[in-house]
Amino acid sequence: MWLPIRIDEQRPEPLYHQIEVQLRGLILGGQLKEGTLLPSIRELAVSLKCSAITVRRVYQDLENEGLIRTRQGTGTFVAGVEAVARDEHRLERAAEELERAVDAALQLQCTPEEIEKAFRQVMKRKSEHWGGVST
Amino acid sequence: MTATGMDYSVSLRGVKLEHERFSLGPIECGIPRGMVTAIVGPNGSGKSTLFRALLGLEPISAGQIEVLGTRLNGNRDESYKNKIGFLAENPHMHDNPFTADEKAKFASHWYPGWDWERYRKLLRHFDVEGGIKLSKMSKGMRRKAELAIAMAHDPELLMLDEPSSGLDPFAWKTMIEELQRYMEPGDRTLVLATHIMDEIKRLADYILFIYRGRVLGLYEKDQLLDDWRTIVVQSDYAQKGGMELLQRTPGFQGLAEAGPGLYRLEVNDPEQGEAYCEENGFQVLAVQRMELEDILSCLIRKEEARR
Repeated sequence: MWLPIRIDEQRPEPLYHQIEVQLRGLILGGQLKEGTLLPSIRELAVSLKCSAITVRRVYQDLENEGLIRTRQGTGTFVAGVEAVARDEHRLERAAEELERAVDAALQLQCTPEEIEKAFRQVMKRKSEHWGGVST
Repeated sequence: MTATGMDYSVSLRGVKLEHERFSLGPIECGIPRGMVTAIVGPNGSGKSTLFRALLGLEPISAGQIEVLGTRLNGNRDESYKNKIGFLAENPHMHDNPFTADEKAKFASHWYPGWDWERYRKLLRHFDVEGGIKLSKMSKGMRRKAELAIAMAHDPELLMLDEPSSGLDPFAWKTMIEELQRYMEPGDRTLVLATHIMDEIKRLADYILFIYRGRVLGLYEKDQLLDDWRTIVVQSDYAQKGGMELLQRTPGFQGLAEAGPGLYRLEVNDPEQGEAYCEENGFQVLAVQRMELEDILSCLIRKEEARR
């Protein structure tokens, strides 16, 4: 199976970290349902152009977190995820993305006031589309 | 298992080999079992000689080679060769009069693990007609036929010397698929010598750099690509001694002036390197991963400086 994971060569994070964050996101975000068979280590390594060592590390970490299960001889599957974990993840991911945007703004030498102003403008524009979002 | 906890299919300890025009070694390295190792180096580095040595075809003048648990020196037991699949860089002239199927028939007598079903499947997937004479095949077609023969006994160790030479992009993709399938059980070892960077990126777990008959290092591929970065920095003022200052960057590997006050710095410890540059008054404009070929040139430059 093909997984929508993209490696960004320009990001400073190591490859295994990039893959792990995205795969965790696919599971906690519900895009990968409980019981889904994941690609074999070698298959994912070839498709992402990374080494089997990296993929094995990612699978081991996610297995330790209880997000995936490996059954000897049959493969690696997505485990059940509790609703609470999913909700926490949602907020964490949103905060991470915002942090990235703030990093970009700081690199452009924006002041905190300018960044906040820009954020409020974005929220205002979005709320016009979605109606329900309060600013 | 060795003391380092790594399990090797092939190990070379202080191996030296002398030719009239070429000497190899001393080589000290191990090829990890269950993994894909790419041997990378400029033409004439000794890649093909190394393969021949592992097949017991080159007499070594010093050291110890062990392949699949068998010591090669002075050993008359050649049964370890049954567990190896090998694709040479160039086709053998003496195979020319035979069809692919005829060559396969010879091979089937030699290898106890030979599997005709596997051979036919490989030919089908590679889209090769086994009844054609090898000499009448196009270069790419013959390559595919020879690869099918090298893989048909499901060897424990598969050694491929520039496997993709002559293959079109479709055949190349099929080859990658077949090599991925070959590695699937997890206990097979693949060693390939190649110049194709995309092949290395898709398949390799480890990279063995060699140059002028010497090993420059065995690296875990992703670790190497994570660690080695180019940092582009600028100094705000016409700073004297900027080069000298940058040469002391942690993990320093290389440096070039890219313009007035603009430098391209190569490091293998990017976090420390970036921090160092900033502390010393340089503005960091970009941090980029390095391509494998650039890492190799860097290692070669250092080796040349050491000689």
